[in-house]
Amino acid sequence: MTNQWKLKEIVLMSILGVVFGVIYLLFFLVGQGIRNILVPFGLAPFGYEIIFGVWFIVSIIAAYILRKPGVAFTAEVIAAVVEVLLGSAAGPALILTGIIQGAAAELVFALTKWKDYRLRILILSGMSAALISFVWNLYSSGNIALAPGLLIAMLIVRLISGALLAGVLGKWISDQLAKTGVLRGYALGKELQKKRETGAA
Amino acid sequence: MRQEQHNRTAMLQVENFSFDYENIEKPLVDQLCLTLYENEVTLLMGASGSGKSSLALCLNGLYPDAVEGFSSGDIYFHGKNIRDLKKGELNQHIGFVFQDPESQFCMITVEDELAFTLENRKIPGSEMSACISEALQAVGMEDFKNNKIHELSGGQKQKIALAAVLLLEPELLILDEPTANLDPVSSLEFIGLIKRIQKERGLSVLIIEHQADDWLELVHRVIVIGKDGKVIADEDAEALFSEKQQLLRQEGVFLPKQFTDSSGLEWKGDSPPLPTNEIILSMENMTFNRKGQSILKEINMELYRGEFIAVIGENGAGKSTLLQLMAGLLTPKKGNISFMNQPIERWNENELRKRMGYVFQNPEHQFITDTVYDELTFGMKLNGYTEEELEVTAAHLMKQYHLEKHRYSNPFSLSGGQKRRLSVATMLDETPDLLLFDEPTFGQDASTTQELMHMIRQLKENGTTIVFITHDMDIVDMTDRAFVLYNQEFAFAGEPDKLWEQEHILQQARLRLPYRIRKQQEAGVVYDLVH
Amino acid sequence: MFMISSINPTIKAFAVLIPGILLGFTFDVFTPLVYFIFILLVTFTLTDIPVIKWMKIFSPFLLVALGFAWMTTLYANQTFSYGDVLFSLWGIEVTTGSILTGISLAFRSLCFVALSLLFALTTDSTKFMLSLMQQCKLPPKITYGVLAGYRFLPIFQHELQILRQAHRIRGIGRTRGIKGRLNQFRRYSIPLLANGIRKAERVAIAMESKGFTGDTDRTHYHKMTVEKKDWLFFAMIVGTFVVVVGMSYYFGYLNIFGKQF
Ligand SMILES: Nc1ncnc2c1ncn2[C@@H]1O[C@H](COP(=O)(O)OP(=O)(O)OP(=O)(O)O)[C@@H](O)[C@H]1O
Ligand SMILES: Nc1ncnc2c1ncn2[C@@H]1O[C@H](COP(=O)(O)OP(=O)(O)OP(=O)(O)O)[C@@H](O)[C@H]1O
Ligand SMILES: [Mg+2]
Ligand SMILES: [Mg+2]
Repeated sequence: MTNQWKLKEIVLMSILGVVFGVIYLLFFLVGQGIRNILVPFGLAPFGYEIIFGVWFIVSIIAAYILRKPGVAFTAEVIAAVVEVLLGSAAGPALILTGIIQGAAAELVFALTKWKDYRLRILILSGMSAALISFVWNLYSSGNIALAPGLLIAMLIVRLISGALLAGVLGKWISDQLAKTGVLRGYALGKELQKKRETGAA
Repeated sequence: MRQEQHNRTAMLQVENFSFDYENIEKPLVDQLCLTLYENEVTLLMGASGSGKSSLALCLNGLYPDAVEGFSSGDIYFHGKNIRDLKKGELNQHIGFVFQDPESQFCMITVEDELAFTLENRKIPGSEMSACISEALQAVGMEDFKNNKIHELSGGQKQKIALAAVLLLEPELLILDEPTANLDPVSSLEFIGLIKRIQKERGLSVLIIEHQADDWLELVHRVIVIGKDGKVIADEDAEALFSEKQQLLRQEGVFLPKQFTDSSGLEWKGDSPPLPTNEIILSMENMTFNRKGQSILKEINMELYRGEFIAVIGENGAGKSTLLQLMAGLLTPKKGNISFMNQPIERWNENELRKRMGYVFQNPEHQFITDTVYDELTFGMKLNGYTEEELEVTAAHLMKQYHLEKHRYSNPFSLSGGQKRRLSVATMLDETPDLLLFDEPTFGQDASTTQELMHMIRQLKENGTTIVFITHDMDIVDMTDRAFVLYNQEFAFAGEPDKLWEQEHILQQARLRLPYRIRKQQEAGVVYDLVH
Repeated sequence: MFMISSINPTIKAFAVLIPGILLGFTFDVFTPLVYFIFILLVTFTLTDIPVIKWMKIFSPFLLVALGFAWMTTLYANQTFSYGDVLFSLWGIEVTTGSILTGISLAFRSLCFVALSLLFALTTDSTKFMLSLMQQCKLPPKITYGVLAGYRFLPIFQHELQILRQAHRIRGIGRTRGIKGRLNQFRRYSIPLLANGIRKAERVAIAMESKGFTGDTDRTHYHKMTVEKKDWLFFAMIVGTFVVVVGMSYYFGYLNIFGKQF
């Protein structure tokens, strides 16, 4: 797989990993903040669920920009590794989480044979990551001990978050980047270029 | 100049090669044919933006792939088409020092960066330490082994890039303006080093450089690329520079001073009298530390209206740091800095920036928009100029700095010299009271340097105070006063003519005499000999 | 004894990972509590992490764990709300089982954090990547790709500083207040990312120009080795976990997925 990727694509994934690794860590605090606000309303369990989508965004952005098999997965794993490298309180277990979330996001792209990168696919990919990470959390965070009604509500919030914060926001950021012209050498930039040319002609 | 005959064996052959970033119809590099020989030093010259760097990157096989560019024609390395070589294989034989000193590193510390090259060459781990020390010694950076690369000064970075390429032990060495950011003595030392290694190892060397002077004694051959992307000269240096001066002038190429007997820069007439003693900027007992290390110590300085000032000193002396302090971008640890008789920290930020311009050492640091036009009009837009005024000023600046063709280009995709010019031009949309330039002329060809100096002169006549950091002693020679930074202090402050008499200071601060004085001295020696 | 900072990073990662994952099975208080104490002991005897620094990073997670415990207590499902009803709150009945489950989950998450800190605070990032390459056969292309990106981190700060300076020079002053900050964030974030991508491209070119091919056959400046002490460490961390589970079973505390053993 690594032979299909150019070195610059790997470094790109890694840089996205660094940038969003930092943002991921920040969002951990944001999540805690939201949670504290929600406590008086008895909605504390939703604190993290609301922003959970952010944790899948690298998969979406990298896949949307590079459009190659394995990118969604690898980018998420690299982001997790980078988070571990950043130190703080992230340990090797995080890499495992990254593997699971990345695989889930990749699954949707794989189903389209890595050909379709329309918004709906990106949203589905974010939701897939949301769903599977939720199942993993049943085990890893012991969520299985929670009441079924609550779990279903949490799942719904997480799915929406995955759709919006990963799918929609991820696409928006990538498009914004493409506008600056730095993505010229990558699939997304080339597609934009082609569109412009056919548009101009 | 070396004239000795030797048997030439072709190393790199370029046949009908064209390259462009966008399309191949009217390519940047057009149907080029040229050959580089073993054990030969070739100098590649041409106007800024003519495609020298792009061509060089094609030669070692990184382009067109890396930029999704277009090419046609063939390049052969020792008779093998480079398309058939495995990626990276060619690069182990061709060492490359990039034009931009910041874009050539991949590790955090100096040591790891150098080790990376050795690892690629599969040098046994136990031998690496010795190799690294040796390479660092060769470029005079042995104390920086454990430093982080991004915390080095511009010139220091360039030296590390050179050390890295020496470790590659290539057959062909491509140097893209390798001395642009080096202090005068380091630059001479580096040229000496290349000369020595070239002799010892029988390397081929391709040098891209605007000012050929110091390289002449090791250059066998000069190739000139014209503005149309074709080779317009490919011959022995002596013949070229003495017989084709007209052609070279047209192309805007610097003629070596020994062929024209002048610095190539005109600074017409006497400098206008120093108008006033109105103080524009003053520093009092200013001290600055970085990470606990003293960089500048008890600096005192006063700049007057309409003065043209040079700040000089060796790499890492703290020149850029001093300029950033003057601009209020850094805050001194101790002491005061006043601009127009008011402490700089008490200025309203917007007002201050209108009256003072600053140009970074690395041009890319200046850019904050996506096109050349936006970049040029950014400041004016903020100040509420009309669309028309924007257009007029921008058109004027683009013409003056040869950027018309690049109106919609992304500033980051310009050539090295074009970036430099654009970053300078962004500060010239208005006439401020003080302009601070960090090495504004590096990487420029003769015509653009000349135009820049012309502009500076006009500004000066209009009463703007101008500060240059520069390693070009011919420019220092034109200034009203020069400040020499050495050992965290000013070792000298005064008229350049006085400085040229202070041999001791020049030596300490790793400076040189300008061409004008050197020539006088040579003439003096001849005179002494005759009489 | 050895210091943990000298342990091979890959071995250390697995040593920390395995108990971390296996803890997911347990829902009693005893197992995670005892293991947590063990990790603390290891942390403060075999590393030179200053206690204050450790506390500073650790303490926020104490709150998180507490919140988590409380939530689980309130919302535990039938399987886990065994035992007597102790009191009721907003119509929710809190039982012994739900409280114990809550506390168990809290300790479990503290174990995660402590294990992670044990790893993160004693491991050099570059060495971790190099070790993944040398011991786990991670392709050099990925290893150095990641390292090259990771190198961007210190530069990232530097870059932000330069961008801020550039904006000042060009006449956009510093802004105050939340709205200004948000605006600034938008103005900086895309250029910063764009610069990052530009750097990625150039770094890749630079690496290739230095003869990097991604070939797995390469020599190493920092040679990462696996020695006896590394396995000793592994055995200690994982072994102790097995022992703790054993003790828990022996004393009759062990609870896996709500089933008492
Ligand atoms: N990455 C790029 N994308 C698009 N155009 C580019 C890119 N790099 C350079 N160019 C354009 O190609 C032309 C030649 O650039 P190049 O860097 O080869 O010039 P150069 O001869 O080395 O000039 P200088 O002496 O100023 O360094 C310039 O007009 C430049 O704007
Ligand atoms: N961001 C930084 N962090 C720490 N040290 C730095 C940083 N930038 C520069 N330095 C150090 O401060 C000293 C002065 O650097 P400065 O950039 O002012 O030198 P300079 O005189 O401009 O050199 P050059 O001619 O090479 O550009 C150098 O020794 C450099 O290593
Ligand atoms: Mg160039
Ligand atoms: Mg400098």
